[in-house]
Amino acid sequence: MEQPRGKTGWTEVTEPGPGRPGFGASDRRPRAAALRLLSTMTQAEIKLCSLLLQEHFGEIVEKIGVHLIRTGSQPLRVIAHDTGTSLDQVKKALCVLIQHNLVIYQVHKRGVVEYEAQCSRVLRMLRYPRYIYTAKTLYSDTGELIVEELLLNGKMTMSAVVKKVADRLTETMEDGKTMDYAEVSNTFVRLADTHFVQRCPFVPATENSDPGPPPPAPTLVINEKDMYLVPKLSLIGKGKRRRSSDEDATGEPKAKRPKHTADNKEPIPDDGIYWQANLDRFHQHFRDQGIVSAVANRMDQTSSEIVRTMLRMSEITTPSNAPFTQPLSSNEIFRSLPVGYNISKQVLDQYLTLLADDPLEFVGKSGDSGGGMYVINLHKALGSLATATLESVVQERFGSRCARIFRLVLQKKHLEQKQVEDFAMIPAKEAKDMLYKMLSENFISLQEIPKTPDHAPSRTFYLYTVNILSAARMLLHRCYKSIANLIERRQFETKENKRLLEKSQRVEAIIASMQATGAEEAQLQEIEEMITAPERQQLETLKRNVNKLDASEIQVDETIFLLESYIESTMKRQ
Amino acid sequence: MAEVKVKVQPPDADPVEIENRIIELCHQFPHGITDQVIQNEMPHIEAQQRAVAINRLLSMGQLDLLRSNTGLLYRIKDSQNAGPVSFFLSKMKGSDNQEKLVYQIIEDAGNKGIWSRDIRYKSNLPLTEINKILKNLESKKLIKAVKSVAASKKKVYMLYNLQPDRSVTGGAWYSDQDFESEFVEVLNQQCFKFLQSKAETARESKQNPMIQRNSSFASSHEVWKYICELGISKVELSMEDIETILNTLIYDGKVEMTIIAAKEGTVGSVDGHMKLYRAVNPIIPPTGLVRAPCGLCPVFDDCHEGGEISPSNCIYMTEWLEF
Repeated sequence: MEQPRGKTGWTEVTEPGPGRPGFGASDRRPRAAALRLLSTMTQAEIKLCSLLLQEHFGEIVEKIGVHLIRTGSQPLRVIAHDTGTSLDQVKKALCVLIQHNLVIYQVHKRGVVEYEAQCSRVLRMLRYPRYIYTAKTLYSDTGELIVEELLLNGKMTMSAVVKKVADRLTETMEDGKTMDYAEVSNTFVRLADTHFVQRCPFVPATENSDPGPPPPAPTLVINEKDMYLVPKLSLIGKGKRRRSSDEDATGEPKAKRPKHTADNKEPIPDDGIYWQANLDRFHQHFRDQGIVSAVANRMDQTSSEIVRTMLRMSEITTPSNAPFTQPLSSNEIFRSLPVGYNISKQVLDQYLTLLADDPLEFVGKSGDSGGGMYVINLHKALGSLATATLESVVQERFGSRCARIFRLVLQKKHLEQKQVEDFAMIPAKEAKDMLYKMLSENFISLQEIPKTPDHAPSRTFYLYTVNILSAARMLLHRCYKSIANLIERRQFETKENKRLLEKSQRVEAIIASMQATGAEEAQLQEIEEMITAPERQQLETLKRNVNKLDASEIQVDETIFLLESYIESTMKRQ
Repeated sequence: MAEVKVKVQPPDADPVEIENRIIELCHQFPHGITDQVIQNEMPHIEAQQRAVAINRLLSMGQLDLLRSNTGLLYRIKDSQNAGPVSFFLSKMKGSDNQEKLVYQIIEDAGNKGIWSRDIRYKSNLPLTEINKILKNLESKKLIKAVKSVAASKKKVYMLYNLQPDRSVTGGAWYSDQDFESEFVEVLNQQCFKFLQSKAETARESKQNPMIQRNSSFASSHEVWKYICELGISKVELSMEDIETILNTLIYDGKVEMTIIAAKEGTVGSVDGHMKLYRAVNPIIPPTGLVRAPCGLCPVFDDCHEGGEISPSNCIYMTEWLEF
């Protein structure tokens, strides 16, 4: 039974391991289903998922999706019955969700197919801009558009992607120039080689030896080796410019039907081989970026370049959730440094020694062969980044003296009230006030150590301590709610100015049609003046506000990424 | 013929003479003499005369009475102690022995002072008596009360002319029982500026990375010397004081510390190791959550759509959007 992907800290409750009491094979299914219910997310997450689904896919999909998130895995008829929507609409909504990898299905006993929503995958939709931007920095516009198409369509064949992207790129080019399919294919192959896109699991072509009825739902398999294998296609052609009124507006995320065949006369050579964006690989990239920038802040540019080289060398060899990378020898690193960097071997060795000795402990020395074997301590790096995030939040919310106390308790693990005042050199009254404030917000917790069996308060030690994991979870919850608030505010702002927006859209449409039919300058001017100056100002403000809220959502998502990575890495180690 | 027992009056039967002899004996044996020794020295003196002489010396405070496992010992009182004691005696003419006892106890406590309850335990006197005596002694300017910085209600008593110990007054950071936060802050900033400029110069020197890193470190001794030369402190600061200030900089996240092994005798090394400090930058910029108004909102928990406080009518957001 596949466990939901993207686990948060609730996993330990749901693992039906042998050690857990009361788990017999016979009653495993309903128990596991009930426990998976417990693993559904908090109210804040459900709210956020609901907002995202609504914005991207519309009301009906949102209703079905949220229902599935709330209630766990359910068969088709139950969904239709519980949500009160017609079976037809439920099917279409599920199609959309499955196409976008937001819902998975499984065949259970007695031929019942159950559908289950992946809440954490829904939350990834927030990160789409970041994925697209990363692809742009690594593979320029072509890569950007490929990833964007894959994210917006869920799954696509390679030929469809290539064609679409070539068309889009041709649009932006000057007259007379077109984008060649070959170039787009090359970029696609490079994306597949570096594992940024991967093949979707497919129906295995088996010999149907038993003549019984086919299973109600196919089981999809994918071989590790085949995941990044690009089919041998000879895509020849060039991008076409779009005619004025024929096609749909691109980039508008509509509910896409699966297996949308292009209007090609020839049969598609790679039918059945679908590709999707490999989000884990992007996450690995973000993590590496975070580590490199931390090293650059703490040390200098050259050290960060060395760390980047080491991470690049470990990209393919180390699984993304390993606590350490593979050991790399100093000679290998020297050979793999980027071409522009001409530092001598001794200088590289010095930098490596400095990195290994630094109190940050991101890099460790694991041996002496090959000029010194070095590893990057990924788990420690994530922990440091998460801790720095916590400290930053404490500092901004409560002030720098509070931050001093917080770091003090973090370093010394357990401290008494008096010791806190002495070490932090803050007067007793203020120190007490700050500690209680942080305690009430759950950044710090209290550990009681009784001296006598009756736990009398006057004879008990009270020690302050920081539990990073629980503080991280608390902060993560706050992040989810914050993003939900930002999205709501953005929708509110848009709704407030709906009338004005509609008016301006009408005016633009009129101007465009008049331009197409060749109108005079004076007439265009007249139409434009239908929107008065203060209204124009209002539109400007609205645009600025919406952009600001959007940007803020992405920034909060960065915090979410750091905290989630840390929590995931810690849970895996336990 | 009847024998006339003539009591030969020993030549030094004079009480003063006896006392002087005893004092001489005490000087000869500074560790103390027993009664037996006096008897051996002056066999012709009767026990009663001896006792009278010894008592007089004791009450005058020139002898100390000690008990050892062999018996009672008489020891000459230290000449240093004899000074203020005689001064004390001159002041305390007519005071009773209880006061002398309390004074003794306070004197023994040295410069750490002693709490009134402890005086009571040691002297077994009732509380009212103790209080009366203490008031008396204070008015005679023989003892003083010092407020302890640890527990502000507690008063410890010590001799008038003694300097209170650091643990009582709190050391360099306390002046008159007040914690001097401003002073600590100023020192904090000065130390940080010193370390920062050191790191800057090291970074700009552009030599090979080892030398660059090593020159960006400063030992606690260097920082101490810098602060002393700066002269911003009225009080003499020790290296430990500077190290506590540097520790607060570590907890501020601005400075990191390493300990290296140093040869005994190099300047600033303590027990064979030295502490080095270096200014550092934070590893991440302020995180995304705090850039949104929700991250710092004080009424975050009350906010929900449709309520009094909601994202749609949030005043913090309105202000933030107008920025």
